[in-house]
Amino acid sequence: MNGVAETMRMGELRISRALRSSGRELGNFLGGLLILFVLWYLGVEFIASNPDKASFADFGPIPAFKAFPWLWEDGILQSAITASGYRLGVGLLIAIAIGVPIGIIMGLSKRFREFSNAPFQLLRMVSPLSWEPIAVLSFGLAGATVIFLIAIAAVWPIIFATAAGLAKVDPAWFKVARNLGASRWHMLTQIIIPAIAYDVLTGIRLALGVAWIVLVPAEFLGVSEGLGYAVQDAKESLSYDSLMAMILIIGAIGYLLDSACVLALKRYSWHKG
Amino acid sequence: MSNGAAHADASTAQAAVVHDFLKSASRRFFNGFVGLATLFVLWWIGGYALSANPATESFSDFGPIPTFKAIPALWEAGKIQSAVVASGYRLGMGLLIAFAIGVPLGILMGRSKRFRELSNSPFQLLRMVSPLSWMPLAVLIFVASWDQSIIFLITIAAVWPIAFATAAGLAKVDPAWFKVARNLGAKPWHMVFNITIPAIAFDISTGTRLALGIAWVVLVPAELLGVTSGLGYAIKDARETLAYSDLTAIVLVIGVIGWFLDSLVAMLVKRFNWHKGGE
Repeated sequence: MNGVAETMRMGELRISRALRSSGRELGNFLGGLLILFVLWYLGVEFIASNPDKASFADFGPIPAFKAFPWLWEDGILQSAITASGYRLGVGLLIAIAIGVPIGIIMGLSKRFREFSNAPFQLLRMVSPLSWEPIAVLSFGLAGATVIFLIAIAAVWPIIFATAAGLAKVDPAWFKVARNLGASRWHMLTQIIIPAIAYDVLTGIRLALGVAWIVLVPAEFLGVSEGLGYAVQDAKESLSYDSLMAMILIIGAIGYLLDSACVLALKRYSWHKG
Repeated sequence: MSNGAAHADASTAQAAVVHDFLKSASRRFFNGFVGLATLFVLWWIGGYALSANPATESFSDFGPIPTFKAIPALWEAGKIQSAVVASGYRLGMGLLIAFAIGVPLGILMGRSKRFRELSNSPFQLLRMVSPLSWMPLAVLIFVASWDQSIIFLITIAAVWPIAFATAAGLAKVDPAWFKVARNLGAKPWHMVFNITIPAIAFDISTGTRLALGIAWVVLVPAELLGVTSGLGYAIKDARETLAYSDLTAIVLVIGVIGWFLDSLVAMLVKRFNWHKGGE
Protein backbone atom coordinates (compact mmCIF):
# COMPACT_ATOMS: atom_id res chain seq x y z
CA MET A 1 0.00 0.00 0.00
CA ASN A 2 2.75 2.29 1.05
CA GLY A 3 4.70 1.46 -2.10
CA VAL A 4 1.78 2.37 -4.37
CA ALA A 5 1.27 5.69 -2.61
CA GLU A 6 4.98 6.36 -2.92
CA THR A 7 4.95 5.60 -6.64
CA MET A 8 1.92 7.81 -7.16
CA ARG A 9 3.54 10.66 -5.30
CA MET A 10 6.68 10.26 -7.39
CA GLY A 11 4.57 10.29 -10.53
CA GLU A 12 2.80 13.45 -9.47
CA LEU A 13 6.11 15.06 -8.67
CA ARG A 14 7.46 14.18 -12.06
CA ILE A 15 4.36 15.49 -13.82
CA SER A 16 4.43 18.73 -11.91
CA ARG A 17 8.13 19.13 -12.70
CA ALA A 18 7.47 18.43 -16.39
CA LEU A 19 4.62 20.93 -16.40
CA ARG A 20 6.73 23.52 -14.65
CA SER A 21 9.61 23.08 -17.07
CA SER A 22 7.34 23.18 -20.13
CA GLY A 23 5.58 26.20 -18.59
CA ARG A 24 8.97 27.83 -18.22
CA GLU A 25 9.79 26.94 -21.82
CA LEU A 26 6.53 28.43 -23.03
CA GLY A 27 7.20 31.56 -20.99
CA ASN A 28 10.65 31.91 -22.52
CA PHE A 29 9.29 31.23 -26.00
CA LEU A 30 6.60 33.91 -25.74
CA GLY A 31 8.83 36.32 -23.79
CA GLY A 32 11.55 36.08 -26.44
CA LEU A 33 9.14 36.68 -29.30
CA LEU A 34 7.55 39.57 -27.41
CA ILE A 35 10.96 41.22 -26.99
CA LEU A 36 11.61 40.76 -30.70
CA PHE A 37 8.32 42.43 -31.63
CA VAL A 38 8.86 45.29 -29.17
CA LEU A 39 12.33 45.92 -30.62
CA TRP A 40 10.90 45.75 -34.13
CA TYR A 41 8.15 48.21 -33.17
CA LEU A 42 10.57 50.64 -31.51
CA GLY A 43 13.05 50.42 -34.39
CA VAL A 44 10.43 51.26 -37.00
CA GLU A 45 8.93 54.00 -34.81
CA PHE A 46 12.36 55.54 -34.43
CA ILE A 47 13.03 55.52 -38.19
CA ALA A 48 9.54 56.74 -39.09
CA SER A 49 9.78 59.61 -36.56
CA ASN A 50 12.06 61.26 -39.11
CA PRO A 51 9.54 63.08 -41.38
CA ASP A 52 11.60 62.19 -44.49
CA LYS A 53 11.10 58.54 -43.74
CA ALA A 54 7.49 58.59 -42.52
CA SER A 55 6.58 56.09 -45.25
CA PHE A 56 8.68 53.50 -43.42
CA ALA A 57 5.94 53.24 -40.76
CA ASP A 58 4.40 50.43 -42.82
CA PHE A 59 7.37 48.24 -41.96
CA GLY A 60 6.25 47.99 -38.35
CA PRO A 61 4.76 44.92 -36.71
CA ILE A 62 1.23 46.34 -36.41
CA PRO A 63 0.72 46.96 -40.16
CA ALA A 64 2.26 43.53 -40.81
CA PHE A 65 -0.23 41.82 -38.51
CA LYS A 66 -3.06 43.84 -40.05
CA ALA A 67 -1.97 42.59 -43.48
CA PHE A 68 -2.50 38.94 -42.54
CA PRO A 69 -6.33 38.87 -42.67
CA TRP A 70 -6.54 40.29 -46.18
CA LEU A 71 -3.60 38.25 -47.44
CA TRP A 72 -5.53 35.24 -46.22
CA GLU A 73 -8.88 36.33 -47.63
CA ASP A 74 -7.36 37.05 -51.02
CA GLY A 75 -5.91 33.56 -50.94
CA ILE A 76 -2.38 34.91 -51.52
CA LEU A 77 -1.03 33.29 -48.41
CA GLN A 78 -2.58 29.88 -49.07
CA SER A 79 -1.52 29.72 -52.70
CA ALA A 80 2.02 30.87 -51.87
CA ILE A 81 2.37 28.26 -49.13
CA THR A 82 0.86 25.48 -51.25
CA ALA A 83 3.05 26.25 -54.27
CA SER A 84 6.26 26.61 -52.25
CA GLY A 85 5.43 23.64 -50.07
CA TYR A 86 4.91 21.44 -53.11
CA ARG A 87 8.25 22.50 -54.66
CA LEU A 88 10.10 22.12 -51.39
CA GLY A 89 8.56 18.72 -50.72
CA VAL A 90 9.22 17.31 -54.18
CA GLY A 91 12.73 18.79 -54.28
CA LEU A 92 13.61 17.28 -50.89
CA LEU A 93 12.08 13.92 -51.82
CA ILE A 94 14.18 13.77 -54.99
CA ALA A 95 17.26 14.78 -52.97
CA ILE A 96 16.55 11.98 -50.46
CA ALA A 97 15.85 9.43 -53.20
CA ILE A 98 19.20 10.24 -54.84
CA GLY A 99 21.23 11.18 -51.79
CA VAL A 100 20.60 8.23 -49.48
CA PRO A 101 21.62 5.51 -51.99
CA ILE A 102 24.72 7.48 -53.03
CA GLY A 103 25.58 7.99 -49.37
CA ILE A 104 25.19 4.26 -48.71
CA ILE A 105 27.49 3.43 -51.62
CA MET A 106 30.01 5.97 -50.31
CA GLY A 107 29.81 4.46 -46.85
CA LEU A 108 30.21 0.87 -48.05
CA SER A 109 32.79 1.23 -50.83
CA LYS A 110 36.09 2.85 -49.96
CA ARG A 111 37.01 2.97 -53.65
CA PHE A 112 33.86 4.92 -54.57
CA ARG A 113 34.34 7.25 -51.60
CA GLU A 114 37.87 8.12 -52.63
CA PHE A 115 37.07 8.64 -56.29
CA SER A 116 33.90 10.59 -55.73
CA ASN A 117 35.36 12.98 -53.17
CA ALA A 118 36.90 15.51 -55.59
CA PRO A 119 34.02 15.73 -58.10
CA PHE A 120 31.41 15.81 -55.32
CA GLN A 121 33.22 18.56 -53.43
CA LEU A 122 33.50 20.56 -56.63
CA LEU A 123 29.80 20.13 -57.49
CA ARG A 124 28.73 20.75 -53.90
CA MET A 125 30.48 24.11 -53.83
CA VAL A 126 28.83 25.32 -57.03
CA SER A 127 26.41 27.83 -55.59
CA PRO A 128 23.00 26.25 -56.42
CA LEU A 129 21.52 29.33 -58.03
CA SER A 130 24.30 29.34 -60.64
CA TRP A 131 22.61 26.30 -62.17
CA GLU A 132 19.51 28.40 -62.73
CA PRO A 133 20.11 29.41 -66.38
CA ILE A 134 21.07 25.85 -67.32
CA ALA A 135 18.04 24.49 -65.46
CA VAL A 136 15.68 26.90 -67.21
CA LEU A 137 17.04 25.82 -70.59
CA SER A 138 16.81 22.14 -69.69
CA PHE A 139 13.36 22.13 -68.15
CA GLY A 140 11.65 25.05 -69.78
CA LEU A 141 9.10 25.09 -66.97
CA ALA A 142 9.81 27.52 -64.16
CA GLY A 143 8.26 25.27 -61.51
CA ALA A 144 10.46 22.32 -62.49
CA THR A 145 13.49 24.62 -62.38
CA VAL A 146 12.75 25.55 -58.76
CA ILE A 147 12.41 21.86 -57.84
CA PHE A 148 15.70 21.06 -59.61
CA LEU A 149 17.52 23.86 -57.77
CA ILE A 150 16.19 22.67 -54.41
CA ALA A 151 17.15 19.07 -55.17
CA ILE A 152 20.69 19.95 -56.28
CA ALA A 153 21.20 22.11 -53.19
CA ALA A 154 19.73 19.58 -50.77
CA VAL A 155 21.31 16.39 -52.07
CA TRP A 156 24.85 17.04 -50.70
CA PRO A 157 24.12 17.26 -46.98
CA ILE A 158 22.02 14.09 -47.29
CA ILE A 159 24.77 12.19 -49.14
CA PHE A 160 27.52 13.18 -46.71
CA ALA A 161 25.40 12.62 -43.61
CA THR A 162 24.34 9.16 -44.81
CA ALA A 163 27.95 8.21 -45.53
CA ALA A 164 29.05 9.52 -42.13
CA GLY A 165 26.28 7.53 -40.47
CA LEU A 166 27.37 4.31 -42.17
CA ALA A 167 30.97 4.94 -41.15
CA LYS A 168 29.81 4.73 -37.53
CA VAL A 169 28.14 1.34 -37.99
CA ASP A 170 30.17 -1.27 -36.14
CA PRO A 171 31.24 -4.01 -38.61
CA ALA A 172 30.75 -6.52 -35.79
CA TRP A 173 27.00 -6.01 -36.08
CA PHE A 174 27.06 -7.43 -39.58
CA LYS A 175 29.06 -10.42 -38.40
CA VAL A 176 26.63 -11.06 -35.57
CA ALA A 177 23.67 -10.69 -37.93
CA ARG A 178 25.24 -13.08 -40.43
CA ASN A 179 25.85 -15.59 -37.67
CA LEU A 180 22.22 -15.33 -36.71
CA GLY A 181 21.24 -16.07 -40.30
CA ALA A 182 20.24 -12.60 -41.50
CA SER A 183 19.74 -12.15 -45.22
CA ARG A 184 21.06 -9.11 -47.13
CA TRP A 185 17.56 -7.65 -46.93
CA HIS A 186 17.59 -8.07 -43.15
CA MET A 187 20.95 -6.36 -42.97
CA LEU A 188 19.50 -3.37 -44.80
CA THR A 189 16.20 -3.10 -42.92
CA GLN A 190 17.32 -4.29 -39.49
CA ILE A 191 20.82 -2.84 -39.21
CA ILE A 192 21.71 -0.22 -41.79
CA ILE A 193 18.48 1.77 -41.84
CA PRO A 194 17.92 1.98 -38.06
CA ALA A 195 21.61 2.74 -37.53
CA ILE A 196 21.79 5.56 -40.04
CA ALA A 197 18.28 6.98 -39.47
CA TYR A 198 19.66 9.52 -37.04
CA ASP A 199 22.42 10.72 -39.35
CA VAL A 200 20.14 10.78 -42.39
CA LEU A 201 17.74 12.95 -40.40
CA THR A 202 20.59 15.26 -39.42
CA GLY A 203 21.37 15.50 -43.12
CA ILE A 204 17.73 16.18 -43.94
CA ARG A 205 17.66 18.96 -41.37
CA LEU A 206 20.73 20.58 -42.96
CA ALA A 207 19.23 19.99 -46.40
CA LEU A 208 16.00 21.65 -45.34
CA GLY A 209 17.95 24.69 -44.17
CA VAL A 210 19.75 25.01 -47.50
CA ALA A 211 16.59 24.28 -49.50
CA TRP A 212 14.79 26.99 -47.57
CA ILE A 213 17.54 29.47 -48.49
CA VAL A 214 17.42 28.45 -52.16
CA LEU A 215 13.62 28.39 -52.44
CA VAL A 216 13.02 32.12 -52.13
CA PRO A 217 15.53 33.42 -54.72
CA ALA A 218 14.57 30.56 -57.06
CA GLU A 219 11.01 31.82 -56.91
CA PHE A 220 12.07 35.39 -57.68
CA LEU A 221 12.64 34.32 -61.26
CA GLY A 222 9.98 33.21 -63.67
CA VAL A 223 7.25 31.78 -61.44
CA SER A 224 4.01 33.54 -60.55
CA GLU A 225 3.21 31.98 -57.20
CA GLY A 226 5.05 30.89 -54.11
CA LEU A 227 6.65 32.59 -51.12
CA GLY A 228 9.52 34.09 -53.12
CA TYR A 229 7.12 35.44 -55.69
CA ALA A 230 4.94 36.91 -52.93
CA VAL A 231 7.97 38.77 -51.50
CA GLN A 232 8.88 40.03 -54.96
CA ASP A 233 5.28 41.02 -55.66
CA ALA A 234 4.92 42.89 -52.36
CA LYS A 235 8.11 44.78 -53.10
CA GLU A 236 7.05 45.75 -56.61
CA SER A 237 3.60 46.89 -55.51
CA LEU A 238 5.29 48.84 -52.67
CA SER A 239 3.01 47.19 -50.09
CA TYR A 240 5.56 47.06 -47.30
CA ASP A 241 3.08 45.73 -44.77
CA SER A 242 2.50 42.57 -46.78
CA LEU A 243 6.26 42.34 -47.41
CA MET A 244 6.89 42.20 -43.67
CA ALA A 245 3.97 39.79 -43.25
CA MET A 246 5.53 37.47 -45.84
CA ILE A 247 8.95 37.67 -44.16
CA LEU A 248 7.29 36.78 -40.87
CA ILE A 249 5.43 33.84 -42.45
CA ILE A 250 8.62 32.56 -44.10
CA GLY A 251 10.41 32.69 -40.75
CA ALA A 252 7.52 31.04 -38.91
CA ILE A 253 7.12 28.17 -41.41
CA GLY A 254 10.89 27.64 -41.50
CA TYR A 255 10.96 27.54 -37.70
CA LEU A 256 8.10 25.03 -37.67
CA LEU A 257 9.76 22.74 -40.24
CA ASP A 258 13.11 22.93 -38.47
CA SER A 259 11.50 22.14 -35.10
CA ALA A 260 9.74 19.14 -36.67
CA CYS A 261 13.16 17.87 -37.80
CA VAL A 262 14.57 18.42 -34.31
CA LEU A 263 11.70 16.43 -32.79
CA ALA A 264 12.26 13.59 -35.27
CA LEU A 265 15.99 13.69 -34.45
CA LYS A 266 15.25 13.31 -30.76
CA ARG A 267 13.06 10.35 -31.56
CA TYR A 268 15.74 8.54 -33.58
CA SER A 269 18.72 9.35 -31.42
CA TRP A 270 20.21 6.09 -30.15
CA HIS A 271 23.71 7.39 -29.56
CA LYS A 272 22.91 8.66 -26.10
CA GLY A 273 20.33 6.03 -25.36
CA MET B 1 69.97 1.24 -25.74
CA SER B 2 72.64 3.72 -26.66
CA ASN B 3 71.89 7.28 -27.59
CA GLY B 4 73.00 6.71 -31.16
CA ALA B 5 70.66 3.76 -31.70
CA ALA B 6 67.70 5.73 -30.29
CA HIS B 7 68.55 8.54 -32.63
CA ALA B 8 68.72 6.18 -35.62
CA ASP B 9 65.41 4.63 -34.53
CA ALA B 10 63.77 8.02 -34.36
CA SER B 11 65.06 9.00 -37.77
CA THR B 12 63.87 5.75 -39.42
CA ALA B 13 60.50 6.23 -37.75
CA GLN B 14 60.42 9.76 -39.08
CA ALA B 15 61.35 8.58 -42.56
CA ALA B 16 58.55 6.02 -42.39
CA VAL B 17 56.07 8.73 -41.37
CA VAL B 18 57.19 10.97 -44.22
CA HIS B 19 57.03 8.04 -46.62
CA ASP B 20 53.51 7.11 -45.46
CA PHE B 21 52.43 10.69 -45.72
CA LEU B 22 53.79 10.98 -49.27
CA LYS B 23 52.16 7.73 -50.25
CA SER B 24 48.79 8.71 -48.85
CA ALA B 25 49.09 12.18 -50.40
CA SER B 26 49.92 10.77 -53.82
CA ARG B 27 47.10 8.27 -53.47
CA ARG B 28 44.72 11.08 -52.58
CA PHE B 29 45.99 13.15 -55.48
CA PHE B 30 45.56 10.24 -57.87
CA ASN B 31 42.04 9.49 -56.63
CA GLY B 32 41.05 13.13 -56.93
CA PHE B 33 42.46 13.27 -60.42
CA VAL B 34 40.60 10.13 -61.54
CA GLY B 35 37.39 11.38 -59.92
CA LEU B 36 37.58 14.72 -61.69
CA ALA B 37 38.49 13.01 -64.97
CA THR B 38 35.38 10.83 -64.63
CA LEU B 39 33.27 13.93 -64.04
CA PHE B 40 34.67 15.60 -67.15
CA VAL B 41 34.15 12.50 -69.27
CA LEU B 42 30.50 12.32 -68.16
CA TRP B 43 30.16 16.01 -68.89
CA TRP B 44 31.75 15.50 -72.33
CA ILE B 45 29.32 12.69 -73.11
CA GLY B 46 26.45 14.95 -72.10
CA GLY B 47 27.78 17.74 -74.33
CA TYR B 48 28.25 15.30 -77.19
CA ALA B 49 24.67 14.07 -76.81
CA LEU B 50 23.49 17.69 -77.00
CA SER B 51 25.47 18.40 -80.16
CA ALA B 52 24.47 15.12 -81.83
CA ASN B 53 20.78 15.92 -81.59
CA PRO B 54 19.80 18.63 -84.14
CA ALA B 55 17.12 19.95 -81.77
CA THR B 56 19.67 20.73 -79.05
CA GLU B 57 22.67 21.46 -81.22
CA SER B 58 22.70 25.13 -80.24
CA PHE B 59 23.42 24.06 -76.66
CA SER B 60 26.57 22.13 -77.54
CA ASP B 61 28.59 25.01 -76.06
CA PHE B 62 27.64 23.62 -72.64
CA GLY B 63 30.20 20.86 -73.18
CA PRO B 64 33.58 20.85 -71.44
CA ILE B 65 35.71 21.68 -74.50
CA PRO B 66 33.97 24.96 -75.39
CA THR B 67 34.00 25.75 -71.66
CA PHE B 68 37.74 25.30 -71.32
CA LYS B 69 38.24 27.34 -74.48
CA ALA B 70 36.13 30.12 -72.97
CA ILE B 71 38.23 30.44 -69.81
CA PRO B 72 41.34 32.03 -71.42
CA ALA B 73 39.17 34.52 -73.30
CA LEU B 74 37.29 35.43 -70.12
CA TRP B 75 40.59 35.79 -68.29
CA GLU B 76 42.13 38.03 -70.94
CA ALA B 77 39.05 40.21 -70.98
CA GLY B 78 39.51 40.54 -67.21
CA LYS B 79 36.01 39.25 -66.56
CA ILE B 80 37.01 36.42 -64.21
CA GLN B 81 39.34 38.63 -62.19
CA SER B 82 36.89 41.48 -61.75
CA ALA B 83 34.04 39.09 -60.86
CA VAL B 84 36.20 37.29 -58.31
CA VAL B 85 37.44 40.53 -56.76
CA ALA B 86 33.94 42.03 -56.49
CA SER B 87 32.39 38.86 -55.06
CA GLY B 88 35.38 38.20 -52.83
CA TYR B 89 35.11 41.66 -51.30
CA ARG B 90 31.40 41.21 -50.56
CA LEU B 91 31.90 37.71 -49.19
CA GLY B 92 34.83 38.76 -47.02
CA MET B 93 33.12 41.83 -45.60
CA GLY B 94 29.89 39.92 -44.99
CA LEU B 95 31.68 37.11 -43.18
CA LEU B 96 33.79 39.54 -41.17
CA ILE B 97 30.72 41.41 -39.94
CA ALA B 98 28.95 38.11 -39.25
CA PHE B 99 31.98 37.13 -37.18
CA ALA B 100 32.11 40.42 -35.30
CA ILE B 101 28.43 40.05 -34.38
CA GLY B 102 28.13 36.28 -34.13
CA VAL B 103 31.01 35.47 -31.78
CA PRO B 104 30.02 37.96 -29.03
CA LEU B 105 26.39 36.89 -29.41
CA GLY B 106 27.44 33.26 -29.07
CA ILE B 107 29.57 34.02 -26.01
CA LEU B 108 26.61 35.82 -24.45
CA MET B 109 24.40 32.81 -25.21
CA GLY B 110 26.98 30.45 -23.78
CA ARG B 111 27.56 32.41 -20.59
CA SER B 112 24.06 33.58 -19.65
CA LYS B 113 21.35 30.98 -19.27
CA ARG B 114 18.69 33.70 -19.11
CA PHE B 115 19.83 35.20 -22.43
CA ARG B 116 20.07 31.77 -24.05
CA GLU B 117 16.54 30.86 -23.04
CA LEU B 118 14.97 34.15 -24.01
CA SER B 119 16.86 34.53 -27.28
CA ASN B 120 16.06 31.03 -28.53
CA SER B 121 12.67 31.66 -30.11
CA PRO B 122 13.43 35.04 -31.75
CA PHE B 123 16.80 33.78 -33.03
CA GLN B 124 15.27 30.59 -34.44
CA LEU B 125 12.56 32.63 -36.13
CA LEU B 126 15.06 35.08 -37.62
CA ARG B 127 17.43 32.27 -38.59
CA MET B 128 14.72 30.54 -40.58
CA VAL B 129 13.77 33.66 -42.51
CA SER B 130 15.21 32.77 -45.90
CA PRO B 131 18.00 35.38 -46.28
CA LEU B 132 16.98 36.51 -49.74
CA SER B 133 13.56 37.57 -48.40
CA TRP B 134 15.41 40.45 -46.72
CA MET B 135 16.50 41.61 -50.17
CA PRO B 136 13.71 44.17 -50.76
CA LEU B 137 14.23 45.55 -47.26
CA ALA B 138 18.01 45.68 -47.71
CA VAL B 139 17.66 47.55 -50.97
CA LEU B 140 15.43 50.15 -49.29
CA ILE B 141 17.71 50.55 -46.29
CA PHE B 142 20.96 50.77 -48.24
CA VAL B 143 19.46 52.85 -51.02
CA ALA B 144 22.77 54.11 -52.29
CA SER B 145 24.71 50.92 -52.44
CA TRP B 146 24.10 47.49 -53.91
CA ASP B 147 27.38 46.40 -52.37
CA GLN B 148 26.06 47.15 -48.90
CA SER B 149 22.78 45.31 -49.50
CA ILE B 150 24.64 42.20 -50.64
CA ILE B 151 27.02 42.40 -47.68
CA PHE B 152 23.99 42.75 -45.42
CA LEU B 153 22.39 39.62 -46.93
CA ILE B 154 25.59 37.61 -46.51
CA THR B 155 25.96 38.81 -42.94
CA ILE B 156 22.40 37.99 -41.95
CA ALA B 157 22.76 34.51 -43.48
CA ALA B 158 26.18 33.77 -41.97
CA VAL B 159 25.74 35.16 -38.47
CA TRP B 160 23.54 32.28 -37.16
CA PRO B 161 25.87 29.33 -37.65
CA ILE B 162 28.71 31.35 -36.09
CA ALA B 163 26.62 32.42 -33.09
CA PHE B 164 25.21 28.93 -32.42
CA ALA B 165 28.58 27.21 -32.90
CA THR B 166 30.25 29.63 -30.48
CA ALA B 167 27.55 29.00 -27.88
CA ALA B 168 27.82 25.22 -28.37
CA GLY B 169 31.61 25.45 -27.99
CA LEU B 170 31.33 27.39 -24.74
CA ALA B 171 28.84 24.87 -23.39
CA LYS B 172 31.53 22.20 -23.69
CA VAL B 173 34.11 24.14 -21.68
CA ASP B 174 34.59 22.36 -18.37
CA PRO B 175 34.10 24.83 -15.48
CA ALA B 176 36.82 22.95 -13.61
CA TRP B 177 39.41 24.34 -16.02
CA PHE B 178 38.70 27.84 -14.77
CA LYS B 179 39.07 26.69 -11.17
CA VAL B 180 42.36 24.99 -11.92
CA ALA B 181 43.57 28.07 -13.79
CA ARG B 182 42.58 30.32 -10.90
CA ASN B 183 44.42 28.06 -8.49
CA LEU B 184 47.48 28.33 -10.69
CA GLY B 185 47.18 32.10 -10.50
CA ALA B 186 45.72 32.85 -13.96
CA LYS B 187 44.53 36.40 -14.58
CA PRO B 188 41.17 37.09 -16.31
CA TRP B 189 42.90 37.65 -19.67
CA HIS B 190 44.72 34.36 -19.24
CA MET B 191 41.33 32.73 -18.85
CA VAL B 192 40.20 34.29 -22.11
CA PHE B 193 43.34 33.71 -24.16
CA ASN B 194 44.56 30.44 -22.73
CA ILE B 195 41.30 28.64 -21.97
CA THR B 196 38.20 30.05 -23.61
CA ILE B 197 39.60 30.89 -27.03
CA PRO B 198 41.58 27.67 -27.61
CA ALA B 199 38.62 25.68 -26.30
CA ILE B 200 36.06 27.24 -28.63
CA ALA B 201 38.35 27.75 -31.65
CA PHE B 202 37.32 24.36 -33.00
CA ASP B 203 33.60 25.06 -32.76
CA ILE B 204 34.00 28.55 -34.15
CA SER B 205 35.89 27.17 -37.14
CA THR B 206 33.14 24.55 -37.66
CA GLY B 207 30.62 27.39 -37.52
CA THR B 208 32.71 29.38 -39.97
CA ARG B 209 32.67 26.47 -42.39
CA LEU B 210 28.87 26.28 -42.24
CA ALA B 211 28.64 30.07 -42.51
CA LEU B 212 30.89 30.07 -45.57
CA GLY B 213 28.73 27.42 -47.22
CA ILE B 214 25.57 29.44 -46.64
CA ALA B 215 27.19 32.72 -47.64
CA TRP B 216 28.32 31.07 -50.87
CA VAL B 217 24.74 29.95 -51.56
CA VAL B 218 23.40 33.45 -50.87
CA LEU B 219 26.07 35.36 -52.79
CA VAL B 220 25.10 34.29 -56.31
CA PRO B 221 21.34 35.02 -56.17
CA ALA B 222 22.07 38.31 -54.37
CA GLU B 223 24.24 39.27 -57.32
CA LEU B 224 21.67 38.16 -59.88
CA LEU B 225 19.54 41.16 -58.95
CA GLY B 226 20.68 44.66 -59.69
CA VAL B 227 24.48 44.72 -59.48
CA THR B 228 26.77 44.83 -62.48
CA SER B 229 29.76 43.00 -61.05
CA GLY B 230 30.53 39.74 -59.33
CA LEU B 231 30.11 36.05 -60.06
CA GLY B 232 26.30 36.12 -59.95
CA TYR B 233 26.25 38.99 -62.41
CA ALA B 234 28.70 37.15 -64.69
CA ILE B 235 26.24 34.24 -64.84
CA LYS B 236 23.34 36.50 -65.63
CA ASP B 237 25.39 38.35 -68.23
CA ALA B 238 26.48 35.12 -69.95
CA ARG B 239 22.89 33.91 -69.98
CA GLU B 240 21.55 37.11 -71.47
CA THR B 241 24.19 37.20 -74.20
CA LEU B 242 23.52 33.48 -74.85
CA ALA B 243 27.24 32.80 -74.31
CA TYR B 244 26.71 29.26 -73.02
CA SER B 245 30.39 28.38 -72.87
CA ASP B 246 31.01 31.47 -70.70
CA LEU B 247 28.11 30.37 -68.51
CA THR B 248 29.54 26.93 -67.79
CA ALA B 249 33.01 28.46 -67.40
CA ILE B 250 31.71 30.74 -64.63
CA VAL B 251 29.83 27.84 -63.01
CA LEU B 252 33.13 25.91 -62.99
CA VAL B 253 35.00 28.89 -61.52
CA ILE B 254 32.36 29.22 -58.79
CA GLY B 255 32.71 25.52 -57.94
CA VAL B 256 36.51 25.65 -57.88
CA ILE B 257 36.70 28.77 -55.71
CA GLY B 258 34.05 27.43 -53.35
CA TRP B 259 35.93 24.15 -53.06
CA PHE B 260 39.19 26.00 -52.38
CA LEU B 261 37.64 28.18 -49.67
CA ASP B 262 35.88 25.21 -48.08
CA SER B 263 39.13 23.20 -48.00
CA LEU B 264 40.90 26.15 -46.41
CA VAL B 265 38.36 26.32 -43.58
CA ALA B 266 38.36 22.52 -43.29
CA MET B 267 42.12 22.72 -42.66
CA LEU B 268 41.50 25.29 -39.92
CA VAL B 269 38.90 22.97 -38.38
CA LYS B 270 41.46 20.16 -38.33
CA ARG B 271 44.12 22.44 -36.89
CA PHE B 272 41.89 23.52 -34.00
CA ASN B 273 40.52 20.08 -33.28
CA TRP B 274 41.54 19.10 -29.76
CA HIS B 275 38.64 16.75 -29.06
CA LYS B 276 40.40 13.76 -30.56
CA GLY B 277 43.87 14.88 -29.60
CA GLY B 278 44.38 16.67 -32.91
CA GLU B 279 46.18 15.18 -35.84
